[in-house]
Amino acid sequence: MTSVGPDEGIWHYDGTSATRHHPRITWMADGFTLHWPGGESGPHRWGDLVPVGGTGARSVYGLRGVPGWRLGFVGAPPEGFAVHLPLPARYGRWIDRIGLWRAIALFGMLAAATVFVVLRAPQWIAPYIPYSWEERLGDAMIGDFGGRLCETPASRTAIARLQAQLGDDVRIRQIGIANIDMVNAVALPGGRILLFNGLLKEAHSPDEVAGVLAHEIGHVRHRDTLTALVRQLGLSVVLGGFNGQVGGAVNGLLAMSYSRDAERAADTYSIRQLRIANISPLPTAAFFDRLGKLSGGERMERATSWMASHPVSVERKVAFTRSAVKGRAYRPALTAAEWRALVDACKNDPDAKKGFDLF
Amino acid sequence: MDGSGARAFGFSGTWRDYAPIAFTNLLLMIVTLGIYRFWATTRTRRYLWSRTRFIDEPLEWSGTGLELFIGFILVLVLFLIPFVFLQFGVQALIFQGYAGLAITLGALAIFLLFYLSGVALFRMLRYRLSRTWWHGIRGGSDDKGWGYGWSYVWRNIVGMIPFYLLVPWAMTSLWNDRWNAMSFGPHPFRASALAGDVYKRFLLFYLVPFLLAIGLIVAGASAMPMLMDPTADPSQPPAGFWALLIIVAVVFYGVLPLIALIFYAKYMRVVIAALSLSTLDFSFDARSKDWFLLILGDIALVVCTLGIGWVFLSYRHWKFFVTHLDASGEISLSALTQSTTAAPGQGEGLADAFDIGAI
Repeated sequence: MTSVGPDEGIWHYDGTSATRHHPRITWMADGFTLHWPGGESGPHRWGDLVPVGGTGARSVYGLRGVPGWRLGFVGAPPEGFAVHLPLPARYGRWIDRIGLWRAIALFGMLAAATVFVVLRAPQWIAPYIPYSWEERLGDAMIGDFGGRLCETPASRTAIARLQAQLGDDVRIRQIGIANIDMVNAVALPGGRILLFNGLLKEAHSPDEVAGVLAHEIGHVRHRDTLTALVRQLGLSVVLGGFNGQVGGAVNGLLAMSYSRDAERAADTYSIRQLRIANISPLPTAAFFDRLGKLSGGERMERATSWMASHPVSVERKVAFTRSAVKGRAYRPALTAAEWRALVDACKNDPDAKKGFDLF
Repeated sequence: MDGSGARAFGFSGTWRDYAPIAFTNLLLMIVTLGIYRFWATTRTRRYLWSRTRFIDEPLEWSGTGLELFIGFILVLVLFLIPFVFLQFGVQALIFQGYAGLAITLGALAIFLLFYLSGVALFRMLRYRLSRTWWHGIRGGSDDKGWGYGWSYVWRNIVGMIPFYLLVPWAMTSLWNDRWNAMSFGPHPFRASALAGDVYKRFLLFYLVPFLLAIGLIVAGASAMPMLMDPTADPSQPPAGFWALLIIVAVVFYGVLPLIALIFYAKYMRVVIAALSLSTLDFSFDARSKDWFLLILGDIALVVCTLGIGWVFLSYRHWKFFVTHLDASGEISLSALTQSTTAAPGQGEGLADAFDIGAI
């Protein structure tokens, strides 16, 4: 049996009152006991001592099962005593075991692999998700769009003709005209495409609408909306560890860069379909040109392109312009009457509800 | 301990000591995609608490990263994931034309968030006290904070109804509610802050925007002749326009936060001065100038280091808090017996989810 103290540099709290004791410590191979005038604590086993980290120039130990029990030393504990003591945790148990730098390398590789998989996996997974699931998801999200779709018999014929020319073999469930004054078109989960009425009003010819519609059909064909949904879900889980703002920003940036690739692929599809259908790509190019001017001109767009989900309009305009073949006899996508029916669909449909009250 | 000239609280940390903790925390957070955040918080607190002296003995933080992580996971599963689904549901309802139901659901969700943020505030304090040890004794509360959540909701709403004039009352009475439910060892905290003591400052905060608005209108009116300059190029905004814009920006980003700070400085002095524990009376002597320098230092630190200095903010704030905190009165160590409150099993998940609590 060995002992040290009592000593000003050794103190003890028993966990029941705040009174400080200066005990004498006696120890053997399997444990130790504290004695002070009027009390003692022990015998305790070495294995029940828990180091309390972050205590500066002091060494403090707790006792498993007795909250508030503390044994403290100024500086390091006496040598014979110290050999029995566990080391305080520093970075965390796993990291302490393998070492900081090795842990950083390991975690770094794991993190990079995780992010890579989460970004890529949606492309691998999406093709295997049954269409029926996607359609049900789309129905749950959109339904009948609250009765805001415009349709007349003539507009239905016009849309059917566009669809036959641009995406005959694509699983499209519906191409609708939404009574919303925005220059936009969207592909929704479940093979639905919405052309906004604002787009039809803004377009100068059916060929422009054909280019935009073919782009959206490209999204449906590539199942881009579903892929984006899966990716968004994965990213929000993986980046959930960061606090809201950091995670949201990183998530947005990563998702955006992928959506730009999808946009380019949809443009490529659109260009190909226009060529097959013998529709001139030039009106679509002109349309992007007008859009680009609306969003502040090329320099403005380039400066913000890293955060935009669509490729800059100038790039898109060039791609469509280049695909035009000189001297080729293009024909219009729709007859004048069909085009009128499309543009006036919302005016002529008595049931169509107007716009969004909430937006 | 009074009369010895020394303050009851002291802080002995240095930023050089803390830097290795801060930087390894940052590195580990990056490579673990943020998950290390909880262990990082714990390491920081262990350091800060252990360098904080109260009378004769440093504080000790006994919280663990794992329990913070568990708190986070619980909140994620119980609240955040249902909220994501709710958000999707609300969007779907809007699309499908059930705007009324969507608004009701959304309003309910916001109300629930409001309630939960009150609960979070309470539970954060309770958790921190239950993990703070001094002389082997800890604090805590037997109240779980669900009732405080309602108190938080109705007092804040009542505070806002008469054009925000009762906000100081809501703030001080909620402070009292919160602290009166807390204890350290066998002693309950007593908080008796009076709203009247902060009203003068609050009225300053309340009235200055009106005075500024009047000032701006007068300035604008007197600048009118300049704005109407017939020789000016009509396509260019007049010089006066830019001057006005700069004045408005300075007011919004400079003057208003400054007044808010002046109010907050007074508020903190008042509420801490009204706080006592058994025979100990607390006080806090940070004046508006001190707060101003703290915030200015924060901004300079973050800007000059291109954001990396962010890792030192919790250190700076804790040091500020401790060096301005003081206590007077006697405390009997033998009467300071162990807390009998139930210690919460997990960390501050709710507070974490709402991004409250800076340290």
